[in-house]
Amino acid sequence: MTVISKEAEAQLARWPSRARTLFTELLDDAATVLQRELLQRAVAAEHTPNEVHAFADQLRGMADDEAFVACTLDEDAPADYTVTQLLRAESDPLYAFELKGGTLEPADDEPPLLPVKRSESIANLRRVTASFVADSTDADPATRASQVDLPVVKVPGSSSTGLFEAQLREATRAHGVSWAESELDVPNGMSLEAAVAAGATVLGDGLPVAMAIGPAAGKSARLIIALQISTSGRTRAWQLFDPISSELVWANERDLLSRNELPFNDKYFRRVTRIALPSRRRTAF
Amino acid sequence: MAPPRSQPSSAFASRELNGEVLLDELNELRQGQVPQRPLDECARALQKLSGPTSKCAATVRQLASERFAQYPALVSLLRRWATRLKTDADGPLLAAHFERLAISAAVINSLRAASAGLPRSRR
Repeated sequence: MTVISKEAEAQLARWPSRARTLFTELLDDAATVLQRELLQRAVAAEHTPNEVHAFADQLRGMADDEAFVACTLDEDAPADYTVTQLLRAESDPLYAFELKGGTLEPADDEPPLLPVKRSESIANLRRVTASFVADSTDADPATRASQVDLPVVKVPGSSSTGLFEAQLREATRAHGVSWAESELDVPNGMSLEAAVAAGATVLGDGLPVAMAIGPAAGKSARLIIALQISTSGRTRAWQLFDPISSELVWANERDLLSRNELPFNDKYFRRVTRIALPSRRRTAF
Repeated sequence: MAPPRSQPSSAFASRELNGEVLLDELNELRQGQVPQRPLDECARALQKLSGPTSKCAATVRQLASERFAQYPALVSLLRRWATRLKTDADGPLLAAHFERLAISAAVINSLRAASAGLPRSRR
């Protein structure tokens, strides 16, 4: 029987019961202790059921040494990785796998441009799992007894309970984009000033930024997207779009930093409470 | 007078290219029932866009009439942009615009879906 780590258990508690059952089957069908450990770590790193199942599909065809290489950054590799990427890859084997160019097969169905309902996501998960064929055999007892000792590292400032990071990551995987979500102006969170500075850089590089807004720090009530940034002299403005109200506004950066008012019609939303910053991985599929 | 060849033409220099224009295009694609995947594939196909304007325009028209012919809204969008390619600087800008279009579509859909998990109470 596989012992599940506390971190993985905490995440699994949020999964639908059907997805938890399927994950247990995946663990049972994993060929080796290493594969089971990598799957657990992917769960603990807050990947979605679909991602974990696709990851399991990739691992299944690998020997332990191949899987270890595929999910671990080489010592001489960091030349063009950021510190954040390196830290995250240490604790998240699926992230490291993609960072090194590994790809997860997308679901068979085409996700529509319209919002995907939760029931459809579960149906997708069922379909992915239904196609799984348990073609692996259990490792010998000696291999089972061995301990896989990979370090657990938490990225500073990143959120342990992301509101939208996992969905963004899955939705933009085809473009080789990964996301790091942070809560703003809370203990162990990122400051709004740092978030705005990082967001401006990302927008300047041509990637949109996802944000949550609300009445106060720690109270996220609406999710919005920053589409682009415009600079005129010393003034910088962000173009924000609220997909729920369909409002498109320009916000002066000083107003964003004031934490007091945003240019949306609904004045309940006074400030930015979370930010999800995208970064390009090396390889997209 | 045509703009210098190294400068983007007016359609690509617009401040709203990746703002209002992008949202209008997303709306068109949504109304035309274009799924996310062909939009992703289209963005990736356009990444290879390079060379003289006439060649870029021909590539875009070819994508419209062959690979994405089953999606009329996407065909219409591609053809419209093909006619706007005026200088050599425009091809890479069109590729960047479609990449941003595809990523923004994916992000907006994700945010709409994730919004269901937010508290509704305003207390």
